[in-house]
Amino acid sequence: MSFVIETQNLGREYKTYQKKEGVLNSIKGFWNREYTAKPALKNVNLEIEGGQIIGLVGSNGAGKTTLLKILSGLIYPTQGSVKVLGFEPWKRETEFLRQMSLLLGQKNQLWWDISARDSYSLLTKIYDIDVNTAKKRVSDLADMLSCQHVLDTQLRRLSLGERMKMEIIGSLLHNPKVLFLDEPTIGLDIVAQSAIRDFLASYVRDYKPVVILTSHYMDDIAQLADRLLLISKGEMVYDGTVKRFSQTTETSKKLIYRYKNDLQERELIFQDSELSEKLNEVVKSGEVVNLKIEEVDFEEVIHRFLAKESRI
Amino acid sequence: MKKLFIAFWRRNLAFSELAIVSNLEYRFNFFIDAFVQPLITVGIELLMWFAIFETANAVQIGGFGRDNYLAYGVWAPFLGRIAVSWMYESMMVEEVASGSINVILTRPISFYEYYLSQLMGYKVTTTLISMIAPLAVSLFFDLPVHYSRLPMAIALVFYYLFLVHTLSFVISTFAFYMTRVRSLTLVKNLTLWLLAGELVPIDLMPPAIAKILLLSPFPAGVYTPVAYITGRADSDLVLQSFISVTISMVVAVIIGAVLWRKGLQSYTGTGA
Repeated sequence: MSFVIETQNLGREYKTYQKKEGVLNSIKGFWNREYTAKPALKNVNLEIEGGQIIGLVGSNGAGKTTLLKILSGLIYPTQGSVKVLGFEPWKRETEFLRQMSLLLGQKNQLWWDISARDSYSLLTKIYDIDVNTAKKRVSDLADMLSCQHVLDTQLRRLSLGERMKMEIIGSLLHNPKVLFLDEPTIGLDIVAQSAIRDFLASYVRDYKPVVILTSHYMDDIAQLADRLLLISKGEMVYDGTVKRFSQTTETSKKLIYRYKNDLQERELIFQDSELSEKLNEVVKSGEVVNLKIEEVDFEEVIHRFLAKESRI
Repeated sequence: MKKLFIAFWRRNLAFSELAIVSNLEYRFNFFIDAFVQPLITVGIELLMWFAIFETANAVQIGGFGRDNYLAYGVWAPFLGRIAVSWMYESMMVEEVASGSINVILTRPISFYEYYLSQLMGYKVTTTLISMIAPLAVSLFFDLPVHYSRLPMAIALVFYYLFLVHTLSFVISTFAFYMTRVRSLTLVKNLTLWLLAGELVPIDLMPPAIAKILLLSPFPAGVYTPVAYITGRADSDLVLQSFISVTISMVVAVIIGAVLWRKGLQSYTGTGA
Protein backbone atom coordinates (compact mmCIF):
# COMPACT_ATOMS: atom_id res chain seq x y z
CA MET A 1 0.00 0.00 0.00
CA SER A 2 1.32 3.48 -0.79
CA PHE A 3 1.00 6.05 1.92
CA VAL A 4 0.55 9.78 1.52
CA ILE A 5 2.87 10.42 4.45
CA GLU A 6 5.59 8.04 5.50
CA THR A 7 8.39 8.57 8.02
CA GLN A 8 11.09 6.27 9.36
CA ASN A 9 13.04 7.05 12.52
CA LEU A 10 12.44 10.71 11.86
CA GLY A 11 14.21 13.07 14.20
CA ARG A 12 15.30 16.65 14.57
CA GLU A 13 17.79 18.23 16.91
CA TYR A 14 18.04 21.95 17.66
CA LYS A 15 21.21 23.68 18.74
CA THR A 16 20.64 26.35 21.35
CA TYR A 17 23.05 29.01 22.54
CA GLN A 18 23.50 28.80 26.30
CA LYS A 19 23.77 32.34 27.58
CA LYS A 20 25.02 32.53 31.13
CA GLU A 21 23.96 35.39 33.35
CA GLY A 22 25.66 38.77 33.35
CA VAL A 23 27.47 41.32 31.21
CA LEU A 24 30.81 39.52 31.47
CA ASN A 25 29.33 36.38 29.95
CA SER A 26 27.72 38.49 27.20
CA ILE A 27 31.18 39.83 26.37
CA LYS A 28 32.65 36.30 26.47
CA GLY A 29 29.82 35.16 24.23
CA PHE A 30 30.95 37.69 21.63
CA TRP A 31 33.70 35.32 20.49
CA ASN A 32 33.01 32.08 22.27
CA ARG A 33 29.50 30.69 22.47
CA GLU A 34 28.43 27.42 23.98
CA TYR A 35 25.70 25.50 22.26
CA THR A 36 23.74 22.52 23.47
CA ALA A 37 21.89 20.12 21.22
CA LYS A 38 18.32 19.41 22.19
CA PRO A 39 16.36 16.67 20.45
CA ALA A 40 12.92 18.02 19.52
CA LEU A 41 11.79 14.89 17.72
CA LYS A 42 12.98 11.31 18.12
CA ASN A 43 12.42 8.18 16.04
CA VAL A 44 9.00 9.03 14.67
CA ASN A 45 7.53 6.31 12.45
CA LEU A 46 4.34 7.16 10.63
CA GLU A 47 2.23 5.74 7.84
CA ILE A 48 -0.75 7.85 6.84
CA GLU A 49 -3.25 7.01 4.11
CA GLY A 50 -5.35 9.46 2.10
CA GLY A 51 -8.65 11.01 3.22
CA GLN A 52 -7.90 11.02 6.94
CA ILE A 53 -7.91 13.74 9.56
CA ILE A 54 -5.03 13.17 11.93
CA GLY A 55 -5.10 14.92 15.27
CA LEU A 56 -1.60 15.73 16.49
CA VAL A 57 -1.62 16.46 20.18
CA GLY A 58 1.05 17.25 22.72
CA SER A 59 1.97 19.77 25.37
CA ASN A 60 3.99 22.90 24.55
CA GLY A 61 7.45 21.95 23.29
CA ALA A 62 6.48 18.31 22.78
CA GLY A 63 7.57 18.37 19.14
CA LYS A 64 4.29 18.61 17.23
CA THR A 65 5.13 21.86 15.43
CA THR A 66 8.59 20.51 14.61
CA LEU A 67 6.93 17.48 13.04
CA LEU A 68 4.60 19.74 11.01
CA LYS A 69 7.53 21.87 9.89
CA ILE A 70 9.44 18.81 8.68
CA LEU A 71 6.42 17.35 6.89
CA SER A 72 5.71 20.65 5.16
CA GLY A 73 9.34 21.11 4.09
CA LEU A 74 10.10 24.14 6.25
CA ILE A 75 12.97 22.51 8.07
CA TYR A 76 15.37 19.65 7.47
CA PRO A 77 15.28 16.51 9.57
CA THR A 78 18.57 15.65 11.27
CA GLN A 79 17.77 11.96 11.43
CA GLY A 80 15.71 9.39 9.52
CA SER A 81 13.66 9.74 6.36
CA VAL A 82 10.38 11.32 5.36
CA LYS A 83 8.19 11.16 2.26
CA VAL A 84 5.06 13.21 1.67
CA LEU A 85 3.16 12.46 -1.55
CA GLY A 86 6.31 10.65 -2.66
CA PHE A 87 8.49 13.75 -2.24
CA GLU A 88 11.16 14.55 0.30
CA PRO A 89 9.60 17.74 1.68
CA TRP A 90 12.82 19.59 2.50
CA LYS A 91 13.75 19.59 -1.20
CA ARG A 92 10.72 21.88 -1.69
CA GLU A 93 10.07 20.72 -5.25
CA THR A 94 7.44 22.79 -7.04
CA GLU A 95 5.21 19.76 -7.67
CA PHE A 96 5.19 18.98 -3.95
CA LEU A 97 4.47 22.58 -2.93
CA ARG A 98 1.57 22.71 -5.38
CA GLN A 99 -0.11 19.79 -3.68
CA MET A 100 0.14 20.79 -0.06
CA SER A 101 -0.83 23.64 2.18
CA LEU A 102 0.29 24.83 5.59
CA LEU A 103 -1.98 26.99 7.70
CA LEU A 104 -0.47 28.42 10.86
CA GLY A 105 -3.26 29.70 13.07
CA GLN A 106 -1.10 32.31 14.72
CA LYS A 107 0.42 33.71 11.52
CA ASN A 108 -1.00 35.42 8.46
CA GLN A 109 -0.60 33.52 5.25
CA LEU A 110 -2.50 36.09 3.20
CA TRP A 111 -1.33 39.63 2.54
CA TRP A 112 -2.12 42.07 5.31
CA ASP A 113 -2.63 45.22 3.25
CA ILE A 114 -4.85 43.94 0.48
CA SER A 115 -8.31 42.42 0.32
CA ALA A 116 -8.82 38.67 0.53
CA ARG A 117 -10.04 38.70 -3.07
CA ASP A 118 -6.79 40.39 -4.19
CA SER A 119 -4.85 37.77 -2.21
CA TYR A 120 -6.77 34.95 -3.91
CA SER A 121 -6.08 36.50 -7.29
CA LEU A 122 -2.37 36.46 -6.45
CA LEU A 123 -2.55 32.86 -5.22
CA THR A 124 -4.31 31.92 -8.46
CA LYS A 125 -1.22 33.07 -10.34
CA ILE A 126 1.24 31.56 -7.87
CA TYR A 127 -0.40 28.14 -8.17
CA ASP A 128 -1.10 28.68 -11.89
CA ILE A 129 -4.80 27.93 -11.56
CA ASP A 130 -7.36 28.77 -14.24
CA VAL A 131 -8.90 32.14 -13.26
CA ASN A 132 -12.53 31.05 -13.64
CA THR A 133 -11.96 27.80 -11.74
CA ALA A 134 -10.33 29.76 -8.91
CA LYS A 135 -13.15 32.31 -8.80
CA LYS A 136 -15.75 29.56 -8.58
CA ARG A 137 -13.79 27.81 -5.85
CA VAL A 138 -13.48 31.01 -3.80
CA SER A 139 -17.20 31.57 -4.16
CA ASP A 140 -18.04 27.97 -3.15
CA LEU A 141 -15.72 27.99 -0.15
CA ALA A 142 -16.95 31.44 0.93
CA ASP A 143 -20.52 30.12 0.77
CA MET A 144 -19.59 27.13 2.90
CA LEU A 145 -17.97 29.43 5.46
CA SER A 146 -20.66 32.16 5.15
CA CYS A 147 -18.15 34.93 4.53
CA GLN A 148 -18.94 36.30 1.04
CA HIS A 149 -19.52 39.76 2.53
CA VAL A 150 -15.91 40.28 3.69
CA LEU A 151 -14.05 39.12 0.59
CA ASP A 152 -13.39 42.70 -0.55
CA THR A 153 -12.17 43.99 2.81
CA GLN A 154 -8.46 44.32 3.58
CA LEU A 155 -7.23 41.54 5.82
CA ARG A 156 -6.05 43.94 8.51
CA ARG A 157 -9.60 45.25 8.95
CA LEU A 158 -11.18 41.85 9.62
CA SER A 159 -11.97 40.23 12.95
CA LEU A 160 -9.90 37.22 14.00
CA GLY A 161 -12.69 34.79 13.07
CA GLU A 162 -13.26 36.36 9.66
CA ARG A 163 -9.53 36.44 9.03
CA MET A 164 -9.21 32.76 9.84
CA LYS A 165 -12.00 31.95 7.37
CA MET A 166 -10.14 33.95 4.72
CA GLU A 167 -6.93 32.11 5.55
CA ILE A 168 -8.68 28.76 5.24
CA ILE A 169 -10.04 29.65 1.80
CA GLY A 170 -6.55 30.75 0.76
CA SER A 171 -5.01 27.50 1.94
CA LEU A 172 -7.60 25.42 0.06
CA LEU A 173 -7.73 27.41 -3.16
CA HIS A 174 -5.38 25.07 -5.02
CA ASN A 175 -7.17 21.97 -3.73
CA PRO A 176 -4.23 20.52 -1.79
CA LYS A 177 -3.89 16.80 -1.27
CA VAL A 178 -2.22 17.34 2.09
CA LEU A 179 -3.23 20.05 4.49
CA PHE A 180 -1.26 20.93 7.62
CA LEU A 181 -3.33 22.91 10.08
CA ASP A 182 -1.52 24.28 13.12
CA GLU A 183 -4.01 25.62 15.68
CA PRO A 184 -6.63 26.76 13.16
CA THR A 185 -9.16 27.70 15.85
CA ILE A 186 -6.82 29.41 18.29
CA GLY A 187 -8.25 32.56 19.85
CA LEU A 188 -11.64 32.12 18.19
CA ASP A 189 -14.92 32.27 20.05
CA ILE A 190 -17.04 29.13 20.42
CA VAL A 191 -19.31 29.99 17.48
CA ALA A 192 -16.38 30.57 15.12
CA GLN A 193 -14.61 27.43 16.37
CA SER A 194 -17.69 25.38 15.70
CA ALA A 195 -18.18 26.92 12.22
CA ILE A 196 -14.61 26.08 11.26
CA ARG A 197 -14.88 22.56 12.67
CA ASP A 198 -18.09 21.91 10.70
CA PHE A 199 -16.52 23.29 7.58
CA LEU A 200 -13.40 21.14 7.90
CA ALA A 201 -15.44 18.01 8.50
CA SER A 202 -17.56 18.60 5.43
CA TYR A 203 -14.58 19.66 3.29
CA VAL A 204 -12.63 16.50 4.09
CA ARG A 205 -15.72 14.38 3.41
CA ASP A 206 -16.09 15.97 -0.03
CA TYR A 207 -12.47 16.39 -1.17
CA LYS A 208 -10.62 13.64 0.75
CA PRO A 209 -7.32 15.37 1.52
CA VAL A 210 -5.05 14.21 4.33
CA VAL A 211 -5.31 16.71 7.14
CA ILE A 212 -2.80 16.91 9.96
CA LEU A 213 -4.34 19.02 12.65
CA THR A 214 -2.80 20.35 15.83
CA SER A 215 -4.95 22.13 18.34
CA HIS A 216 -5.02 23.08 21.98
CA TYR A 217 -8.80 22.75 21.86
CA MET A 218 -9.32 19.05 22.34
CA ASP A 219 -12.85 19.37 21.00
CA ASP A 220 -11.28 20.01 17.59
CA ILE A 221 -9.47 16.71 17.83
CA ALA A 222 -12.29 14.76 19.44
CA GLN A 223 -14.83 15.87 16.86
CA LEU A 224 -12.69 15.85 13.73
CA ALA A 225 -9.85 13.37 14.01
CA ASP A 226 -10.05 9.85 12.59
CA ARG A 227 -6.74 9.10 14.18
CA LEU A 228 -4.91 10.52 17.13
CA LEU A 229 -1.15 10.98 17.37
CA LEU A 230 0.01 11.87 20.82
CA ILE A 231 3.49 13.25 21.14
CA SER A 232 5.45 13.81 24.31
CA LYS A 233 9.05 14.93 24.69
CA GLY A 234 9.63 14.41 20.97
CA GLU A 235 8.38 10.83 20.93
CA MET A 236 5.14 9.36 19.69
CA VAL A 237 3.42 7.92 22.75
CA TYR A 238 0.08 7.00 21.18
CA ASP A 239 -1.09 6.31 17.63
CA GLY A 240 -4.67 5.13 17.19
CA THR A 241 -8.30 6.23 17.27
CA VAL A 242 -9.62 8.80 19.69
CA LYS A 243 -12.18 6.29 20.99
CA ARG A 244 -9.61 3.59 21.69
CA PHE A 245 -7.40 6.15 23.41
CA SER A 246 -10.21 7.16 25.76
CA GLN A 247 -11.07 3.53 26.46
CA THR A 248 -7.59 2.18 27.01
CA THR A 249 -5.90 4.99 28.83
CA GLU A 250 -8.59 5.95 31.30
CA THR A 251 -11.17 4.10 33.29
CA SER A 252 -11.97 7.24 35.26
CA LYS A 253 -15.39 8.74 35.79
CA LYS A 254 -16.52 12.09 36.98
CA LEU A 255 -18.84 12.54 39.98
CA ILE A 256 -20.73 15.81 39.82
CA TYR A 257 -22.61 16.78 42.94
CA ARG A 258 -24.01 19.75 44.89
CA TYR A 259 -24.59 20.18 48.59
CA LYS A 260 -27.65 22.02 49.88
CA ASN A 261 -25.85 25.32 50.52
CA ASP A 262 -23.60 25.21 47.46
CA LEU A 263 -24.01 27.80 44.72
CA GLN A 264 -22.01 25.73 42.23
CA GLU A 265 -21.60 22.05 41.46
CA ARG A 266 -18.51 20.17 42.67
CA GLU A 267 -16.56 17.60 40.67
CA LEU A 268 -14.59 14.56 41.69
CA ILE A 269 -12.66 12.31 39.30
CA PHE A 270 -12.15 8.70 40.37
CA GLN A 271 -11.29 5.23 39.08
CA ASP A 272 -14.19 2.82 38.42
CA SER A 273 -13.10 0.63 41.32
CA GLU A 274 -13.40 3.56 43.75
CA LEU A 275 -17.06 4.29 43.10
CA SER A 276 -18.53 3.09 46.43
CA GLU A 277 -15.76 4.65 48.47
CA LYS A 278 -16.07 8.07 46.79
CA LEU A 279 -19.86 8.04 46.92
CA ASN A 280 -19.70 7.31 50.65
CA GLU A 281 -17.25 10.19 51.19
CA VAL A 282 -19.47 12.64 49.34
CA VAL A 283 -22.69 11.59 51.05
CA LYS A 284 -21.14 11.64 54.53
CA SER A 285 -19.75 15.15 54.08
CA GLY A 286 -23.08 16.96 53.64
CA GLU A 287 -26.63 16.94 52.43
CA VAL A 288 -26.44 16.10 48.74
CA VAL A 289 -29.20 17.68 46.64
CA ASN A 290 -27.95 16.73 43.21
CA LEU A 291 -25.64 13.97 42.05
CA LYS A 292 -24.66 12.50 38.67
CA ILE A 293 -21.88 10.33 37.26
CA GLU A 294 -20.37 11.15 33.84
CA GLU A 295 -17.62 9.91 31.58
CA VAL A 296 -14.50 12.08 31.81
CA ASP A 297 -14.37 14.26 28.67
CA PHE A 298 -11.63 13.81 26.10
CA GLU A 299 -9.83 17.04 26.91
CA GLU A 300 -9.38 15.97 30.50
CA VAL A 301 -8.18 12.51 29.49
CA ILE A 302 -5.52 14.00 27.25
CA HIS A 303 -4.40 16.50 29.84
CA ARG A 304 -4.14 13.85 32.51
CA PHE A 305 -2.25 11.56 30.15
CA LEU A 306 0.19 14.30 29.14
CA ALA A 307 0.71 15.35 32.73
CA LYS A 308 1.53 11.76 33.59
CA GLU A 309 3.91 11.47 30.60
CA SER A 310 5.72 14.64 31.56
CA ARG A 311 6.47 13.23 34.97
CA ILE A 312 8.20 10.19 33.51
CA MET B 1 8.19 25.19 -21.92
CA LYS B 2 5.89 27.91 -23.28
CA LYS B 3 3.40 27.16 -20.50
CA LEU B 4 6.14 27.52 -17.87
CA PHE B 5 7.25 30.81 -19.41
CA ILE B 6 3.70 32.19 -19.38
CA ALA B 7 3.20 31.04 -15.78
CA PHE B 8 6.48 32.72 -14.83
CA TRP B 9 5.46 36.08 -16.27
CA ARG B 10 1.92 35.84 -14.97
CA ARG B 11 3.22 35.18 -11.48
CA ASN B 12 5.86 37.90 -11.55
CA LEU B 13 3.55 40.54 -12.96
CA ALA B 14 1.21 39.66 -10.11
CA PHE B 15 4.02 40.25 -7.58
CA SER B 16 4.72 43.64 -9.19
CA GLU B 17 1.04 44.46 -8.98
CA LEU B 18 1.08 43.44 -5.33
CA ALA B 19 3.81 46.00 -4.62
CA ILE B 20 1.82 48.73 -6.34
CA VAL B 21 -1.51 47.80 -4.73
CA SER B 22 0.05 47.45 -1.25
CA ASN B 23 1.87 50.76 -1.46
CA LEU B 24 -1.15 52.61 -2.79
CA GLU B 25 -3.06 51.40 0.26
CA TYR B 26 -1.02 53.93 2.23
CA ARG B 27 -1.61 56.93 -0.03
CA PHE B 28 0.03 59.56 2.17
CA ASN B 29 3.23 57.56 2.60
CA PHE B 30 3.35 56.82 -1.11
CA PHE B 31 2.84 60.50 -2.02
CA ILE B 32 5.65 61.59 0.31
CA ASP B 33 7.99 58.85 -0.91
CA ALA B 34 7.33 59.20 -4.62
CA PHE B 35 6.81 62.94 -4.93
CA VAL B 36 7.62 65.12 -1.92
CA GLN B 37 10.92 63.48 -0.99
CA PRO B 38 12.44 63.77 -4.52
CA LEU B 39 11.23 67.37 -4.71
CA ILE B 40 12.93 68.26 -1.43
CA THR B 41 16.11 66.44 -2.46
CA VAL B 42 16.25 68.39 -5.73
CA GLY B 43 15.67 71.63 -3.79
CA ILE B 44 18.56 70.84 -1.41
CA GLU B 45 20.91 70.03 -4.29
CA LEU B 46 20.02 73.27 -6.07
CA LEU B 47 20.63 75.35 -2.97
CA MET B 48 23.88 73.53 -2.20
CA TRP B 49 25.44 74.00 -5.64
CA PHE B 50 24.26 77.61 -5.92
CA ALA B 51 25.85 78.26 -2.53
CA ILE B 52 29.11 76.47 -3.41
CA PHE B 53 29.60 78.49 -6.60
CA GLU B 54 28.59 81.75 -4.90
CA THR B 55 31.08 81.32 -2.06
CA ALA B 56 33.85 79.86 -4.25
CA ASN B 57 33.44 82.84 -6.54
CA ALA B 58 34.56 80.56 -9.41
CA VAL B 59 33.16 79.77 -12.83
CA GLN B 60 34.45 76.20 -12.81
CA ILE B 61 35.30 73.60 -10.18
CA GLY B 62 37.28 70.51 -11.23
CA GLY B 63 36.83 71.47 -14.88
CA PHE B 64 33.01 71.70 -14.72
CA GLY B 65 30.74 74.72 -14.51
CA ARG B 66 27.81 75.42 -12.17
CA ASP B 67 25.19 74.14 -14.58
CA ASN B 68 27.07 70.85 -14.95
CA TYR B 69 27.04 70.39 -11.19
CA LEU B 70 23.42 71.45 -11.00
CA ALA B 71 22.55 68.84 -13.61
CA TYR B 72 24.56 66.24 -11.67
CA GLY B 73 23.02 67.34 -8.39
CA VAL B 74 19.50 67.12 -9.75
CA TRP B 75 19.80 63.78 -11.56
CA ALA B 76 22.15 61.91 -9.18
CA PRO B 77 19.69 61.72 -6.25
CA PHE B 78 16.86 60.79 -8.62
CA LEU B 79 18.79 57.86 -10.11
CA GLY B 80 20.33 57.08 -6.74
CA ARG B 81 16.84 56.62 -5.30
CA ILE B 82 16.06 54.08 -7.99
CA ALA B 83 19.32 52.27 -7.31
CA VAL B 84 18.76 51.50 -3.63
CA SER B 85 16.58 48.95 -1.94
CA TRP B 86 16.23 50.00 1.68
CA MET B 87 12.58 49.08 2.05
CA TYR B 88 12.60 45.71 0.31
CA GLU B 89 15.94 44.67 1.77
CA SER B 90 14.62 45.41 5.26
CA MET B 91 11.50 43.40 4.48
CA MET B 92 13.56 40.47 3.20
CA VAL B 93 15.80 40.46 6.27
CA GLU B 94 12.79 40.74 8.56
CA GLU B 95 11.02 37.87 6.79
CA VAL B 96 13.95 35.53 7.41
CA ALA B 97 14.61 36.73 10.96
CA SER B 98 10.98 36.62 12.08
CA GLY B 99 10.02 33.40 10.31
CA SER B 100 7.41 35.09 8.09
CA ILE B 101 9.36 33.53 5.25
CA ASN B 102 7.53 30.28 6.10
CA VAL B 103 4.66 31.52 3.93
CA ILE B 104 6.98 31.76 0.93
CA LEU B 105 8.86 28.53 1.64
CA THR B 106 5.65 26.51 1.65
CA ARG B 107 4.39 27.92 -1.64
CA PRO B 108 5.70 27.27 -5.14
CA ILE B 109 7.50 30.61 -5.33
CA SER B 110 11.08 31.71 -5.02
CA PHE B 111 12.01 34.22 -2.34
CA TYR B 112 14.41 35.97 -4.73
CA GLU B 113 11.86 36.20 -7.52
CA TYR B 114 9.02 37.28 -5.22
CA TYR B 115 10.91 40.30 -3.90
CA LEU B 116 12.63 41.15 -7.17
CA SER B 117 9.29 41.55 -8.94
CA GLN B 118 7.88 43.60 -6.10
CA LEU B 119 10.96 45.81 -6.08
CA MET B 120 10.71 46.35 -9.82
CA GLY B 121 6.97 47.08 -9.68
CA TYR B 122 7.52 49.64 -6.95
CA LYS B 123 10.51 51.24 -8.63
CA VAL B 124 8.80 51.59 -12.01
CA THR B 125 5.82 53.33 -10.40
CA THR B 126 7.85 55.67 -8.20
CA THR B 127 10.30 56.44 -11.02
CA LEU B 128 7.51 57.62 -13.30
CA ILE B 129 6.24 59.99 -10.62
CA SER B 130 9.51 61.17 -9.10
CA MET B 131 11.03 61.94 -12.53
CA ILE B 132 8.79 65.03 -12.71
CA ALA B 133 11.07 66.95 -10.31
CA PRO B 134 14.46 66.60 -12.07
CA LEU B 135 12.81 67.01 -15.48
CA ALA B 136 11.03 70.21 -14.48
CA VAL B 137 14.18 71.70 -12.89
CA SER B 138 16.39 70.73 -15.86
CA LEU B 139 13.98 72.33 -18.29
CA PHE B 140 13.45 75.43 -16.16
CA PHE B 141 17.17 76.13 -15.67
CA ASP B 142 18.04 74.84 -19.13
CA LEU B 143 20.65 72.51 -17.67
CA PRO B 144 23.02 70.57 -19.94
CA VAL B 145 21.03 67.34 -20.20
CA HIS B 146 20.87 65.02 -23.25
CA TYR B 147 17.24 63.99 -22.98
CA SER B 148 17.58 61.41 -25.77
CA ARG B 149 20.05 59.53 -23.53
CA LEU B 150 17.59 59.24 -20.64
CA PRO B 151 16.04 55.87 -21.65
CA MET B 152 19.48 54.20 -21.84
CA ALA B 153 20.56 55.78 -18.55
CA ILE B 154 17.41 54.60 -16.78
CA ALA B 155 17.75 51.15 -18.37
CA LEU B 156 21.28 50.92 -16.91
CA VAL B 157 20.04 51.87 -13.44
CA PHE B 158 17.28 49.27 -13.61
CA TYR B 159 19.81 46.67 -14.75
CA TYR B 160 22.02 47.68 -11.82
CA LEU B 161 18.95 47.22 -9.60
CA PHE B 162 19.14 43.47 -10.33
CA LEU B 163 22.61 43.50 -8.75
CA VAL B 164 21.37 45.60 -5.84
CA HIS B 165 18.56 43.11 -5.27
CA THR B 166 20.96 40.19 -5.46
CA LEU B 167 23.12 41.87 -2.81
CA SER B 168 19.98 42.35 -0.69
CA PHE B 169 19.27 38.65 -1.15
CA VAL B 170 22.80 37.82 0.05
CA ILE B 171 22.37 40.09 3.09
CA SER B 172 19.00 38.52 3.90
CA THR B 173 20.53 35.02 3.88
CA PHE B 174 22.81 36.21 6.73
CA ALA B 175 19.66 36.45 8.86
CA PHE B 176 19.48 32.63 8.78
CA TYR B 177 22.71 32.56 10.78
CA MET B 178 22.74 35.81 12.71
CA THR B 179 19.07 36.88 12.93
CA ARG B 180 19.79 40.62 13.32
CA VAL B 181 21.65 42.01 10.33
CA ARG B 182 20.19 45.50 10.09
CA SER B 183 23.63 47.00 10.77
CA LEU B 184 24.93 45.18 7.71
CA THR B 185 22.18 46.69 5.56
CA LEU B 186 23.16 50.15 6.77
CA VAL B 187 26.87 49.66 6.11
CA LYS B 188 26.24 48.12 2.69
CA ASN B 189 23.91 50.89 1.55
CA LEU B 190 26.22 53.66 2.75
CA THR B 191 29.12 51.99 0.95
CA LEU B 192 27.10 51.69 -2.25
CA TRP B 193 26.05 55.32 -1.87
CA LEU B 194 29.67 56.40 -1.81
CA LEU B 195 30.93 53.96 -4.48
CA ALA B 196 28.09 54.78 -6.86
CA GLY B 197 29.19 58.42 -6.93
CA GLU B 198 26.02 59.88 -5.49
CA LEU B 199 27.74 61.61 -2.59
CA VAL B 200 30.72 62.90 -4.60
CA PRO B 201 30.96 62.70 -8.40
CA ILE B 202 33.60 60.11 -9.21
CA ASP B 203 35.55 62.52 -11.46
CA LEU B 204 36.20 64.68 -8.38
CA MET B 205 37.88 61.76 -6.60
CA PRO B 206 41.65 61.13 -6.80
CA PRO B 207 42.39 59.76 -10.30
CA ALA B 208 43.72 56.39 -9.09
CA ILE B 209 40.61 55.74 -7.00
CA ALA B 210 38.33 57.04 -9.75
CA LYS B 211 39.94 54.66 -12.25
CA ILE B 212 39.41 51.62 -10.03
CA LEU B 213 35.88 52.67 -9.15
CA LEU B 214 34.92 53.07 -12.77
CA LEU B 215 35.92 49.47 -13.41
CA SER B 216 33.63 48.32 -10.60
CA PRO B 217 29.87 47.83 -11.12
CA PHE B 218 28.79 50.42 -8.56
CA PRO B 219 28.97 53.64 -10.65
CA ALA B 220 26.28 52.03 -12.84
CA GLY B 221 23.80 53.06 -10.15
CA VAL B 222 24.46 56.80 -10.28
CA TYR B 223 27.68 58.15 -11.73
CA THR B 224 27.70 56.46 -15.14
CA PRO B 225 24.06 57.20 -16.08
CA VAL B 226 24.29 60.79 -14.81
CA ALA B 227 27.60 61.34 -16.55
CA TYR B 228 26.05 59.91 -19.70
CA ILE B 229 22.96 62.14 -19.71
CA THR B 230 24.94 65.24 -18.74
CA GLY B 231 27.53 64.63 -21.43
CA ARG B 232 30.49 63.86 -19.12
CA ALA B 233 30.77 60.33 -20.49
CA ASP B 234 29.88 58.52 -23.68
CA SER B 235 28.30 55.14 -24.48
CA ASP B 236 31.60 53.25 -23.94
CA LEU B 237 31.33 53.83 -20.19
CA VAL B 238 27.69 52.71 -20.28
CA LEU B 239 28.66 49.50 -22.08
CA GLN B 240 31.49 48.90 -19.63
CA SER B 241 29.03 49.37 -16.75
CA PHE B 242 26.60 46.84 -18.26
CA ILE B 243 29.46 44.33 -18.48
CA SER B 244 30.78 44.87 -14.94
CA VAL B 245 27.24 44.67 -13.50
CA THR B 246 26.70 41.38 -15.36
CA ILE B 247 29.95 39.86 -14.04
CA SER B 248 29.23 41.01 -10.48
CA MET B 249 25.71 39.67 -10.69
CA VAL B 250 26.96 36.21 -11.65
CA VAL B 251 29.32 36.23 -8.64
CA ALA B 252 26.63 37.56 -6.27
CA VAL B 253 24.07 35.00 -7.48
CA ILE B 254 26.52 32.14 -6.82
CA ILE B 255 27.34 33.44 -3.32
CA GLY B 256 23.63 34.01 -2.61
CA ALA B 257 22.65 30.53 -3.78
CA VAL B 258 25.28 28.86 -1.57
CA LEU B 259 24.35 30.93 1.49
CA TRP B 260 20.65 30.35 0.85
CA ARG B 261 21.05 26.58 0.64
CA LYS B 262 23.19 26.43 3.77
CA GLY B 263 20.89 28.87 5.55
CA LEU B 264 17.85 26.71 4.90
CA GLN B 265 19.67 23.74 6.39
CA SER B 266 20.16 25.59 9.64
CA TYR B 267 16.74 27.28 9.58
CA THR B 268 14.46 26.37 12.45
CA GLY B 269 11.21 27.80 11.11
CA THR B 270 11.20 30.56 13.70
CA GLY B 271 7.82 31.80 14.80
CA ALA B 272 5.77 28.92 13.47
